[in-house]
Amino acid sequence: MMLDVRDINVYYGAIHALKGISFHLEQGEIVALIGANGAGKSTSLSAISRVVPVRSGDILYKNESILNLPPQDIVKKSVIQVPEGRRIFPKMTVVENLEMGAYVHNDRIQIEKNMEAMFVRFPRLKERRNQLGGTLSGGEQQMLAIARGLMAQPELLLLDEPSMGLAPIIVEQIFDIIRDINHHGTSILLVEQNAQMALSIADRGYVLETGKVVLEGTADELLENPDVQEAYLGGG
Amino acid sequence: MSTSSFKKSANSGLTFAIIVIFLALIGFTITGPSLVQKIWGDTLSAGTIPSYLALVVFLGFIGIWNGWKAAGQTGESPLHLKSAIFAGLVAGLVAGLIVMLYAFIVGSISARGIDLRVYLSLLSPESIVYFVFGKSTLIGGLIHLGLSIASAILGAFLAVSADRSGERISKWKNLVNNWTKNSWLGSLKKNVYLNYVLVGVVLLLLVLMPRTWGSYWNYIMGTVGIYILLGIGLNIIVGFSGQLVLGYVAFFAIGAYSFALITAPEPHHVELNFWLALLVAIIASAISGVLIGLPIMRLRGDYLAIVTLGFGEIIRILIKSDWLRGITLGPRGVRNIAGPTLFGKSFSSDVDFMYLIILAVILSIFLARRWQESHVGRAWLAISQDETVAQATGVDTYKYKLLALAIGAAFAGLGGALFASRNQFTGPEDHALMVSINVLCLVIVGGMGSIPGVILGAFTLKGLPEILRELENYRLLVFGALLVVMMIIRPEGLWPARRPNLEVKPPPKIEEKPIDAVSQGGDV
Repeated sequence: MMLDVRDINVYYGAIHALKGISFHLEQGEIVALIGANGAGKSTSLSAISRVVPVRSGDILYKNESILNLPPQDIVKKSVIQVPEGRRIFPKMTVVENLEMGAYVHNDRIQIEKNMEAMFVRFPRLKERRNQLGGTLSGGEQQMLAIARGLMAQPELLLLDEPSMGLAPIIVEQIFDIIRDINHHGTSILLVEQNAQMALSIADRGYVLETGKVVLEGTADELLENPDVQEAYLGGG
Repeated sequence: MSTSSFKKSANSGLTFAIIVIFLALIGFTITGPSLVQKIWGDTLSAGTIPSYLALVVFLGFIGIWNGWKAAGQTGESPLHLKSAIFAGLVAGLVAGLIVMLYAFIVGSISARGIDLRVYLSLLSPESIVYFVFGKSTLIGGLIHLGLSIASAILGAFLAVSADRSGERISKWKNLVNNWTKNSWLGSLKKNVYLNYVLVGVVLLLLVLMPRTWGSYWNYIMGTVGIYILLGIGLNIIVGFSGQLVLGYVAFFAIGAYSFALITAPEPHHVELNFWLALLVAIIASAISGVLIGLPIMRLRGDYLAIVTLGFGEIIRILIKSDWLRGITLGPRGVRNIAGPTLFGKSFSSDVDFMYLIILAVILSIFLARRWQESHVGRAWLAISQDETVAQATGVDTYKYKLLALAIGAAFAGLGGALFASRNQFTGPEDHALMVSINVLCLVIVGGMGSIPGVILGAFTLKGLPEILRELENYRLLVFGALLVVMMIIRPEGLWPARRPNLEVKPPPKIEEKPIDAVSQGGDV
């Protein structure tokens, strides 16, 4: 098992955000966490990348607990989070943003190679390479955020709401890219409000509600499930 | 002319009347004209009343501005001469009438022998007499009215002519720009050797100037230099790593006091060598930076600002307190602090000290630049833009924020030690909140994150007030006004930070091709 999240509890002050959530991910899978606002999807990701503290439970990555590692050590283990809301560095150029993605790596030649690979995958970014991140369009920023994540050569990519605030046609593109990244061997944990889209590329999925997993299954099972259809797929 | 634009002009007049009255109330109607007189070359000894002509010129400028604004507010594009002049007339009339009323009221109160200085310390009888041009309040008021109307109309007229020549000016600018780009001037700009020549000239000046400055100017320039050191340090904390620390004076105080206490004969009889003590002061400040940093690392933005603000005051109060009197000598301060020595020779004349400060500044600039361009600088940049994402890309934000605090504090320690050594004295009042504010102001005015900006800011905020001695009473007022104006017209600072583009490859050519989905698909 690549990632095993066991019964974790997270609090924001007095607010009990994650109430004993468990889920897992096998090597090479795309697993989707779906649910409404405030269900705890993003918090689950941030708990894995250690940006928020976990009060109890355990997180195993490749059968090793990563619960007590600081965020930068998680990054060094090739678990990379792409935060929600297209969080790029607005006053760095595209190239500098990508370089930041490879911050924990030292091999200049490999970084150079990876960057070329990003420019092949995202030709738009190549055109914009010397532009400041903040001047890119929404879709370009999301691509940059993903590309920056890929620069760290992730084995497990934690994607937080990649479709947020983007036009449908761009969402299609982004999801094609996500599928392609997965085909090249990166496991992906995907958090999405757009359940339809997420389940269409995922292998398995978990439905979260107010800090708990209420349903789990393969993507097809969930897509067929009447409750899921009712709540997240816009009616049956 | 419609009623709405009539209202606007009247409003403009009202605003300018308030400005003039405000300036009169704070005594600036004497300071302003004396500056005017100074600018045209007269020497005025302190305390003398400037000529009436200077007052006319001073108020005239304000009036012209009034008319200019009023003309702009007619909202016509291009400006129409008739309505602009009319707007100027209205604005001037309104302003003039109100100022006249003010002159009349203040003049008659003063004429009854009531000393208004009880309420406003700068509103002396002489300044009131000067304000009404030495005439009776009625005649003085009428002069104000006439002056206001005339200057406002002139201002409106100037606005119209500037508007008309605006196009011609922009054409001219383009022409000049093209010319400098294409001619030898443009190629000179790109010439690397020129940079070396420039640096050489600056260095030569720095070597030669202190000898010719004399002790007064060396003192002022030394202060500017110390503030450059402080600015560079705070810039690392605020500009580079993006942590708003308001208690920067704490590190300055720790540097100054740790230096003072180990070199002065009293109270501890340590009397360490200057250079060793300097090192100790720097290290002590850096350590204090880390110690303060540890508990506040989780704070961001406003919270950090307020906590550090308190910290700055705590240090000063501790130094001053009875409780620590045995260690710090309390409010009396530490005297006879050692000056620099070199190979057993004293090295502490004004000129020598200036050289020392220049050396420290050059060294600091060099170090700050190295840090900025390094791996560490990149981490700071990332943290300052988005701490969470920086963390997500594997930056150890905790470590680098602490490092910024320690380095910034070390610079403050160096500045503090030099400051104490130069004055041969340091007391708690040298380390008041105002130092923090001054340094923060110079960083902001210069341009956050920009080292040349810090230098420019230090000269502007510490050097200029010395040159414009008359403005001393208005220093805070000028600070406030300067900051507000800066935020409006140059929010990035006088010399904004421009990061070196570290990528060497030329940008690829963008081919002509149909716009694809990405560029169309914008979001909000």
